Amino acid sequence: MEKKGCLGIPRALMFYRYFPFWRTFFETLGWKVMVSNGIRQKEKIIYFEDSCLPMKLLVTHAIQLKDKVDHLFIPRLVSLHRTYMMCPKFRGAPDIVRLATEGSGSIIDETIDLRKGGLSLFQSFLKIGERLNASKSESKKAFQEAEKSFSKFQKEWMDRINRLPTRQLFEIDIPIPPAGRKAPLRVAFIGHPYNLFDTDINKDLLTLTKRLGMEIMTSDCLSEKEIDREVSDLSKEIYWSSGREIVGSLFHFLSGGVDGVVFLTSFKCGIDALLQEFIKRRLKVQGGSSTPLLLLSFDEHTGREGLTTRLEAFRDVMEEQKRLHIAKCKIM
Amino acid sequence: MKVTFPHLGSMHIFCKAIAETAGIPYLVPPETSRKTLTLGVLHSNESICLPFKIILGNFIEALQMGADTIVMVGSGPPCRLGLYDLVQKVILEDMGLHYRWLTIPPRLTWQAIWKNHEETKELRKELTAKNILLFPYGLWMGWKKMMVCEALEQLAMKVRPKEPKKGETQKRFKKALSWVDGAKNPKTLKEAARKGRIFLQEMEQGRSCIPLKVAIVGELYTVMDPHINRGVEQKLGELGVEVTRTSWFSTHILRSLRSNKADRASERIRFFEASKAYLGYDVGAECNVSVGEAILRSKEGYDGVVHLMPFACMPETTASGILTKVGKDCNIPILTLILDEQEIEGRIQTLLEAFVEMLEWKRRVA
Repeated sequence: MEKKGCLGIPRALMFYRYFPFWRTFFETLGWKVMVSNGIRQKEKIIYFEDSCLPMKLLVTHAIQLKDKVDHLFIPRLVSLHRTYMMCPKFRGAPDIVRLATEGSGSIIDETIDLRKGGLSLFQSFLKIGERLNASKSESKKAFQEAEKSFSKFQKEWMDRINRLPTRQLFEIDIPIPPAGRKAPLRVAFIGHPYNLFDTDINKDLLTLTKRLGMEIMTSDCLSEKEIDREVSDLSKEIYWSSGREIVGSLFHFLSGGVDGVVFLTSFKCGIDALLQEFIKRRLKVQGGSSTPLLLLSFDEHTGREGLTTRLEAFRDVMEEQKRLHIAKCKIM
Repeated sequence: MKVTFPHLGSMHIFCKAIAETAGIPYLVPPETSRKTLTLGVLHSNESICLPFKIILGNFIEALQMGADTIVMVGSGPPCRLGLYDLVQKVILEDMGLHYRWLTIPPRLTWQAIWKNHEETKELRKELTAKNILLFPYGLWMGWKKMMVCEALEQLAMKVRPKEPKKGETQKRFKKALSWVDGAKNPKTLKEAARKGRIFLQEMEQGRSCIPLKVAIVGELYTVMDPHINRGVEQKLGELGVEVTRTSWFSTHILRSLRSNKADRASERIRFFEASKAYLGYDVGAECNVSVGEAILRSKEGYDGVVHLMPFACMPETTASGILTKVGKDCNIPILTLILDEQEIEGRIQTLLEAFVEMLEWKRRVA
């Protein structure tokens, strides 16, 4: 099929969950998908607004791409769940990018709000297809293809995250290498997907973790039911889907199944700041947990060396905890 | 039972009036001070917004003084205000303080009323029939007092730039508020309102000048509470500026009751419409209104806009990014003040002085 043009997707925010879906959709429609590169040595973060690091990176990535592509794809993600919603910053993100790029390029900013009903995702993508001059049937076909490849991607997630380098996690055409030696420790990584997988934010923490002999689990491995069970008894419902996922999966993993839990946040993230306090206090009130918990907060000044030290220390704590646990079992 | 509620501008007068008239025992937390803030900061973390810390401080102080029931206004998504109670409850529990909690639902839905019903089950046992009978009257009385307080504050904002002696208006305004606060029945309230009005109007004869006009926009807590914004309203007034704001406690109550009849509500809709040039969706809380108000104020001949927000506030961070652009496009100076627990009163004074000087210069040149 001849290429219709080039469509740019900034490597930021929810790219780190839905890229395989977006990519299949646009490629089936016959568009070439271009992804921004991220911060290399020479490039600097562009500070258009005083927001959290992930938001600043979105602006930076969008500016990197804007002259190379025909359209920028920055959907207005209001809600990605039938009841819960996204952080309010996502609602203004396309507008911020439009101002930062001085309106020079075309931005596809279709609203995605899953609270409107089961078909709303499909309808949003139909509208996106319309903006790209695709017919209804073409869009429908592309949407089905995208769903197919996304569910395949989700199934392979656990293997993908443990065997591929972090930068290639979301490239669906890269084959997964065979399993290596089994890692002695299992660690759950909790946080917003962009904090977990954006190497510009976390200095490629995941590769570091794997090198230290740990197997990675994320909240994607849990079903919605398992998460709901942990948060259903709260006095008030957490209405951000990401916040709910973080609190639910954190308490799930802390109650067993893994050797340690790492919670990644970025500085100035409103949701994380509030929930972090909640998690700490609730754990304390409930009498603590035997699973070690490490809290890492990132901003643009975070250095790799400090991270390594903290992670190594955390590994030692986990090993000690495991040894103690085994010793206890033997006595009993 | 002893009921307590947070300070929020003159909102405590409203809550106090309800409790007093209905005969429910209450305790007004000590006036927000450095100590209140320190307590709030100690028991939260750096990126949590300032209103959270101040309200938490208010509660801790009130509980330590013997209050046992907290009444808190609720709010909805997507801003963090809606989850304050979830987190504050755990923090108070962790501190070993005993309390009962009552959230006033932000919107009157069946679900909210049901939850409220559950929460008040215990409390209602302690109330006498007289308390319950007098409650609607208390609400009415509180509302009346609220309206008087807001009218007085608006008047104070208007006359402050013309006061003969710096700080005189603030003194008189405080005094007038205490009269209103002390009024026990509709008759004395009416009298207090009249007296306060005349008392404040005397200030207008001080100087004759055309003051600069500045609109204050931003996150509602920071705009409404002088303890949180370090008296920006008063400081600007004393620098000879007539300050306007559209965010009042009653505005937000009317908004949550979905009453669009009031002028203020229709004004909000006007602001919201204006923001559509920059924002394609309702970001939440006050973001769109802040942006829209700044745009419209520039067309209404205002000299400048002061945008207030707590550090790390989610919706207002978006607004501040957009406002930098609005300022350029509409040719109106916008000063964004980001507030947190740091002692920045002196810095705010300097910033405001420079801002006002710049506005004066701009007016002279134009």
